[in-house]
Amino acid sequence: MKFRIAKEAFLDGLQQVQHVVSSRTTLPILSNVLIEASDEGLRLTTTDLDVGVSGVAAAEVSKPGSTTLPVKRLVNIIRELPSAEIEVSVDAKNVASIKSGPSFFKIIGLPDGEFPPLADFKEAKEYHIPQAIFRNGLKKTSYAISTDETRYVLNGIFASFKEGKLTLVATDGRRLAMVDHELEFPSSHEVDFIVPTKAVQELQRHLSTEGELLLKLSDNQVCFEIGSSVIVSKLIEGNYPNYRQVIPGESKERLTLSREQLLETTRRVSLLSSEKSNSVKLTFGHNTVDVMANSPDIGEANETLEVKYEGKEFSIAFNPEFLMAPLKSLEEDEIHLDLIDEMSPGVLRTEDAFLYVLMPMRVTS
Amino acid sequence: MSSSTDGVTNHETRNESANESGSEGAIWDKVKAKLSEYISGDAFSRWFKNAELIGADEQPGIVGVQSDMHQIWIETNYMDELRAAFAEGAGIHCSPKVIVKGQEVPALEEPKQAARKSRAGESVKVVTPDPTGKGVAFERRLKRLGINPELDFESFVVGDNSQFAHAACSAVAHQEGRSFNPLFIHGRAGLGKTHLMSAVAQQLLANDPKAKVVFLTAEHFANEFIEAVRKGNLDAFRKAYRHADAMLIDDIQFLAGKERTQDEFFHTFNVLLNSQTQVILTCDRPAPEIQTLDPRLISRFESGLTVELQPPGFETRVAILRRKMEQWKVELENNVVVHIANSIKSNVRRLEGALTRVASYSFLSSEPMSVQKVDELLGDLVRDENTNQITIEQIQKTVADYYGINLGDMRSRRRPASIAFPRQVAMYLSRSLTKLSLVEIGDAFGKRDHGTVIHACKKVKADMETDVEVRGGVEKLTSQLER
Repeated sequence: MKFRIAKEAFLDGLQQVQHVVSSRTTLPILSNVLIEASDEGLRLTTTDLDVGVSGVAAAEVSKPGSTTLPVKRLVNIIRELPSAEIEVSVDAKNVASIKSGPSFFKIIGLPDGEFPPLADFKEAKEYHIPQAIFRNGLKKTSYAISTDETRYVLNGIFASFKEGKLTLVATDGRRLAMVDHELEFPSSHEVDFIVPTKAVQELQRHLSTEGELLLKLSDNQVCFEIGSSVIVSKLIEGNYPNYRQVIPGESKERLTLSREQLLETTRRVSLLSSEKSNSVKLTFGHNTVDVMANSPDIGEANETLEVKYEGKEFSIAFNPEFLMAPLKSLEEDEIHLDLIDEMSPGVLRTEDAFLYVLMPMRVTS
Repeated sequence: MSSSTDGVTNHETRNESANESGSEGAIWDKVKAKLSEYISGDAFSRWFKNAELIGADEQPGIVGVQSDMHQIWIETNYMDELRAAFAEGAGIHCSPKVIVKGQEVPALEEPKQAARKSRAGESVKVVTPDPTGKGVAFERRLKRLGINPELDFESFVVGDNSQFAHAACSAVAHQEGRSFNPLFIHGRAGLGKTHLMSAVAQQLLANDPKAKVVFLTAEHFANEFIEAVRKGNLDAFRKAYRHADAMLIDDIQFLAGKERTQDEFFHTFNVLLNSQTQVILTCDRPAPEIQTLDPRLISRFESGLTVELQPPGFETRVAILRRKMEQWKVELENNVVVHIANSIKSNVRRLEGALTRVASYSFLSSEPMSVQKVDELLGDLVRDENTNQITIEQIQKTVADYYGINLGDMRSRRRPASIAFPRQVAMYLSRSLTKLSLVEIGDAFGKRDHGTVIHACKKVKADMETDVEVRGGVEKLTSQLER
């Protein structure tokens, strides 16, 4: 195998796939990237057996072939090479010679036959989704994924294709983020499944705001084709709990707030929320919201927002991180906050089909 | 709370009649009334309206809810309120549990002493299993007790190395040998100590489902004890352990250095032995070699039967591999199995790890498994196996423990005789038991010069010739390290 490639193209291609490789693997081959050189260019593939990623880098291939090389080491070498042009040749024993300007590297690989192949999706259901929609949906929900491994069904994003809509949901038991999008697909393709966190992270790295995403689904695996890149992942087995039970029915008070303003204010005030309680208190009065935080030993912060509000006076406390997370991921100028009382969950909505349920913190006073 | 003497009844019928049963209904009504004060209307009706109390006769505080989302949301957000509502509303101090109705029947903890139990906390693992509930329910009980249901006598492969230990455990489990009390099982890591003990526990529970079998690690015992001291409910702690029908404690070496726990354990142990309750202990070394263990405990440990588990022989290793392959439904060529058994000799757990690796590879790859491939896959395991496994860190730790100095002093600059001498012994042992160079050894002891190491070795050697105590100490350390 022999090819010439631009340094930037090689580095980009490797960086697209290297995150899947974990530093501690049981099989040495899993630390390697599979490199397949053909007329198409270079196809680079990595996997940790749960998630696999594959992408293409443009290269001038003079002799097709394939091998596997240790990806972390390869990235470090390529990044440091002095010249913009790189020449790579690999012999029959999987020893790769890398030449660039005056420098010369030799690294030892493993035969490509050992590399576990990515799953096959020949008879899978297919869905065409605009990348922007999926990217946006993941961005607005992924921060709420649970990291508690004892509740493994919550360690991913729930994706449901039902009634002409794609719904994405994530929850950790304290908050729940959900986003809906109209989408066309045959009614025979109604389904729901759970995409694990690691695949979600890979998707967020690969999705852009343009073009289409082809999603293929088999019994226990899912495949995302984004241009020439492919992400394959096992699904989380089990049933996602019925999240609709979490969404409060009727709210008593509705406020409309500037997203940016609420975010900035919360960020500033939260500087003085104590580590122990870690909360900011929102007090609603006539056309104002006071955002407050205090820690007994340090001090306190207070900021008043002007809003249109004529409901009853009351206070509610939230974890500032949990309050800011959706605000950071949204783009809308205005958000609605629906509240019932200080003990019931607050609901943050936008004009779009976005919804965020957040449990309040207990205020001791 | 009524104290039903039959102890265990069928749970399905209990669930259905939960609301009719006077006491349960009354308790739950009180708890719910309190809850509705703590939690606002919408949340209360959403999460708790259709919840009910399950099996309150046996154990208070088990709340059944309709779905897994209810369970998740209540467990994450409302446990404090629920606990408070039980305490304030019904006067029951407990750690509530939330389960999904119809999915899980919780293990019952000490039916006849439910009220006392609630004070002692739920952590003491004394379980009375359901006589009708073999199969899934029985397994679930075992898991709650901390027993892996797969570890029974049937899955234990008996070889020359373990025949005696197996026979002794089997006799105890079938209650043929009250004189084997306590039964003390020792052997290195990964040879099946916990397996045998779990098997005994399962058999005892199968013999008499009402038996109160206490199964836990010494570490757990120590933690419970510390907790009980902190909360000031030592009485409850004592009762929980001293009224057991059988007590099985894993990894007893953890008691080393914990004086008060040892003291408490000593008394518990005496009470149990005097009432002829079966006690089984496991340890990674013979009792007299546990450092800083009270001599009266050592003599008690040795008063019953002591059995040792040895590393398995070749035939046994092959038999273990074959048993595992059958269990995992994998097929490998005979020569591959023989090769794995030849490569990994010291430890059954590692042997299983090697098989997992080979089996998962052959599952993923299409090419047939060859002996060379096995070598490649098991490279690091085999290397561990062949090299002398003693490291400088182990030596430093063992020597520091032995002479009662801080591990940090092994590397420190301080030079009082009480520290310098053990350090020299450790250097001497590093030189004689590892293949490391003088420079490497010097480095590991706080970047000392190789000359210092040479001097240390000479000095210890000379001292060993003239001083019996030094020689005894070094020999003891050597045998301990080489174990």
